[in-house]
Amino acid sequence: MKANITALKQGLIRCHDCGWLVKIADKLSHCPRCDSQLHARLPYSLQRTSAFLISGMLLYIPANVFPIMTVNQFGVGEPHTIVGGIIELIDSKMVPIALLVLVASILVPLFKLIGLSLLLLSVHFRWQINARLWTVMYRIIAFVGRWSMLDIFMISILVDLVNLGGVAQIIAGPAAIAFAAVVILTMFAAKNFDPRLLWDSQENQ
Amino acid sequence: MFVTNDLNSTNYDACPECDLLINHAHPTIGDKVHCPRCGFLLARPRKQSIEHTFSLSIAGLILIFPANLLPMIGIEVMGESTNGLLFSGVMALFSKTMWPVAIVVFLASILFPLVHILLSFLISGHLYFNRSCRYLASWMCWMQHLDEWVMLEVYMLGIIVACVKLMAMAEIKFGWGLYAFIALLIITGMLTSKLDTELFWHRIGKLRKEHYHES
Repeated sequence: MKANITALKQGLIRCHDCGWLVKIADKLSHCPRCDSQLHARLPYSLQRTSAFLISGMLLYIPANVFPIMTVNQFGVGEPHTIVGGIIELIDSKMVPIALLVLVASILVPLFKLIGLSLLLLSVHFRWQINARLWTVMYRIIAFVGRWSMLDIFMISILVDLVNLGGVAQIIAGPAAIAFAAVVILTMFAAKNFDPRLLWDSQENQ
Repeated sequence: MFVTNDLNSTNYDACPECDLLINHAHPTIGDKVHCPRCGFLLARPRKQSIEHTFSLSIAGLILIFPANLLPMIGIEVMGESTNGLLFSGVMALFSKTMWPVAIVVFLASILFPLVHILLSFLISGHLYFNRSCRYLASWMCWMQHLDEWVMLEVYMLGIIVACVKLMAMAEIKFGWGLYAFIALLIITGMLTSKLDTELFWHRIGKLRKEHYHES
């Protein structure tokens, strides 16, 4: 067998869900083993990924500008943005936790937005790149996405626990919706990106 | 109609991330098969994957109850105290404006973990007892897609950060619900690592073939 020949070039489609190989010549629309729809590559991968990605980018702005929660203590309300919450943690000498929140809520979403844009651009303009390295980047993006939900879960716990009437109360702010949307949209974007396109656009494989 | 495809399964595999056509490997337990071109982990056979998945999912189904019904953490400030459950965290957000966030938290921390364990139980149970079911393949597809939306470990990290933030202003108490939740989180992690996807699909395909030959 010649080195580096893809299944598609050999006239084979790999089922996305169960990995079964099907001959294109058999003209099947569904996998004989698991009944999933067969596609050589994820359908409309670039279009769908960019749609989710652009929505995510736009929502990243309100997610960081608006307060993510408001802390009411003795009737005095104090709104916090994501960055504000991190600064407050640093002030109270909780640097490791502050770093954790910084990575999960600011750096990871930013890295995902930039990384996915680069992946899309490289496929669209058929950049000649080290595809192995870029596939690793794709894997990291797909893996770290869910960890950004940390902030949302933390808020749900705080809002639930700190509900002591006039003494202290925490209320979720509008940025929470935007931030949750960013996390989910970028997860969808990563799921719709087909890393095989990176390899397809390399001329000397 | 079941179409037999001689080229498949016996001879070749394709890498899901770079589509490289590879000679089908026959790894033994403990081996790891990586794609030679992109490095993707193609196969990692697990010891008694079906039996382990079956027993772990039963343990998970039992643990879901205390993890959801018992209080996890409570705080006490100036004589006033509150208790938090998984579901009360969802309800706290369920206001006129925050309901989308509440739904996301509900799905990722309660419903999806439950469905994931239920699907593991149904699939491994059918495979363990060699019973065919026409939904087996779609259950398996669902379970694979659901995997990344089960966010118990992220929720755990959320609990830790919340506790650190509350430490200064209140006294924190941990309830039995939290310990059940941690156990559930470990079970879910083990379920994912014990799952031998290739073996499961192979068995599902075989059961399905036998079923077609009988009828």
